[in-house]
Amino acid sequence: MQVFLQTLIGGLSLGAIYALVAMGFSLVYRTMGLVNFAHADVLMIGAYAASTFYMSTKLPFAVAMALAIALTGLIGLFIERVLRPLENKDFTLMLIGTIGFGMVLQAVAVLIWGATGHAVASPVQAAPLELFGLRVRTYDLVVLLIAAVAVVLLVGFLQRTKRGAAMQAVAMDHEAATAVGIHVGRSNAIAFAIGAGLAALAGGLVGPLLYVNPTMGGTIGIKGFAAAMLGGCGNIPGAIVGGLAIGVLDSFAAGHFQGYSELMVFLLFTVIIMIRPTGLFGEMTVSRA
Amino acid sequence: MFRFPRVRIPALAAGALALCLTAACAPPGESEDAGSGGSGPIKLALVDAQSGQLSSLGKWEHKGVKLAVDEWNAAGGINGRKIQLDVFDDQGDPTVGTNIARKIASQKYIAMLGTAESAVTIAMAPILRQAEIPNIASGQSPGMVALKSPFLFLNGPTSTTYDESLAKYLVDDRKMKKIALITNNGAYGKGEHDAFLKAMADRGLKPVADEVVTIDQKDFSAQLTKIRQRGPEVIFLGAEEVESGLIVKQARDLGIRAPFAGAAPQGTPVFIDTAGAANAEGTIVSSPYLSNDISEQSKKFAAAYKAAFNEEAEMHGAKAYDGAQIMLTALKNSDVATGRKLAEAIRAVRYQGLLGDFAYDGTGVGIRATSIGIIKGGALTKAGG
Repeated sequence: MQVFLQTLIGGLSLGAIYALVAMGFSLVYRTMGLVNFAHADVLMIGAYAASTFYMSTKLPFAVAMALAIALTGLIGLFIERVLRPLENKDFTLMLIGTIGFGMVLQAVAVLIWGATGHAVASPVQAAPLELFGLRVRTYDLVVLLIAAVAVVLLVGFLQRTKRGAAMQAVAMDHEAATAVGIHVGRSNAIAFAIGAGLAALAGGLVGPLLYVNPTMGGTIGIKGFAAAMLGGCGNIPGAIVGGLAIGVLDSFAAGHFQGYSELMVFLLFTVIIMIRPTGLFGEMTVSRA
Repeated sequence: MFRFPRVRIPALAAGALALCLTAACAPPGESEDAGSGGSGPIKLALVDAQSGQLSSLGKWEHKGVKLAVDEWNAAGGINGRKIQLDVFDDQGDPTVGTNIARKIASQKYIAMLGTAESAVTIAMAPILRQAEIPNIASGQSPGMVALKSPFLFLNGPTSTTYDESLAKYLVDDRKMKKIALITNNGAYGKGEHDAFLKAMADRGLKPVADEVVTIDQKDFSAQLTKIRQRGPEVIFLGAEEVESGLIVKQARDLGIRAPFAGAAPQGTPVFIDTAGAANAEGTIVSSPYLSNDISEQSKKFAAAYKAAFNEEAEMHGAKAYDGAQIMLTALKNSDVATGRKLAEAIRAVRYQGLLGDFAYDGTGVGIRATSIGIIKGGALTKAGG
């Protein structure tokens, strides 16, 4: 029982990170019908930026995170601006473009910070909480809390604001949205910027849990992508459930299947996707261009 | 008349390019004979991860080798020929490694130094063997010895040596009986797992827990909780630097107080930084090179390293330096031989290095002893007694 609960807790904090990554994938997919393959590398840049501000300029962790989110938001805007001429023209080229951007970001990270990476000290020094023999890291609670706040803000933005409503309209029918005077390009740009900001949030939070290096996007990105697919790509609540599910699944597979855990996670993922091809919360898929 | 020069410039450029492609711009060294009897530079390849999670290893190794090569070049090279060291990035990936092996063979490199990754070395070995290119590698997996390639040499001990020394210290000297294992399923972790398990079995012991993680795993709660329930006196750790650091950090958060014990990766600054110095305190390390203050020779090496790269020398640089010295000595002794003759020359070298006295046998292993160190105050120190 103790192993079961401890494993569950261990899986949740990384699950929350995967959920944030999945939300970024979903948001861009929802508005543009495009999978942004540079997303994981934007996360890496965010992790580097947050940890560099935090460690070398000694800024408080929250300020460092805010700066990192602003920085990657700009990167998101830039990527959208470069891809905009292709929108509704060549979808495949846009996809390849995002892959290319991912590689460029990795190369830039190597140029700025070197190839070896660095460890990040935890910003929360408090001792782990003890509950019935279970140990809960205080930093994990912080991660879960921040992820929850980000979800509430994002959903609030999409559902309660005019800009959010406009983005939803673009997602449903971009031609009709253009006809009623919504600027599709701007809507896409906002989606890209928020998506990149979410990636930086995930990256900044995961830094103290893991190790920051130029290829860190790889493992986190693939799990986050799987989480988005599992939840039903383009569905924000689905992304959250998918993220937590992948995190917990990963944690349990590690305990039961040891060296074969990665295999088991993706095998199970494949089975679920075969039974429900649109993911757990899949609605109609967006198909543009 | 106005158009005339405009047409000519591209034409000239194309002409120059064509000329360049045919002869003048061939990669350096390719047009010259690099082998015995040649007069151009002696071409050595250094293959290591220069990017990715294992790139710290690759950088250290590169610095160690570069230091040795620069020393020889400053002293006039070998037989008046300069030594040319080219770096290839294998990204810690065996597939990339095999591609590089083919490249090295086709570009006529005499010998290869590296890699620090057992899995990459094992993947490259058949190609290097066929092309008869001797290789001094930095991995420690017994799987490398099992290949029985006459062209493959190690610049340090194998996991069997590391773990035999460790088991001797833990079980025979410290009388520890309750030992848990946590290792990864990569080539290094698997080698460590098997070697330490054998060393325990030789002493009639069975581990209280034997947990295997994957090389990409990030959350270790399930395995560590199981280990905590068994209450081990010490936990044997067989994983690379960063992953080991994460395991130790999470173990301390879960309330595990037992010390960890391991080999080379657990003695590095990357491990200590990732785990956090307080968490890594008391880690028991089996290593042939504990610090820079062991002998006059290591002090001299550390000073040269510091002068060249402005950072503290550590074990991987020292290993690579020894390997490069042996390779260069063999080249000199054999009058820059290649292939089988060079391999024989390496086997014949007796070298007193930073890690100990090298004497190769038929297996390609030249050194068979390690010492025990303990991490105290964020640095590796020799274990007392």
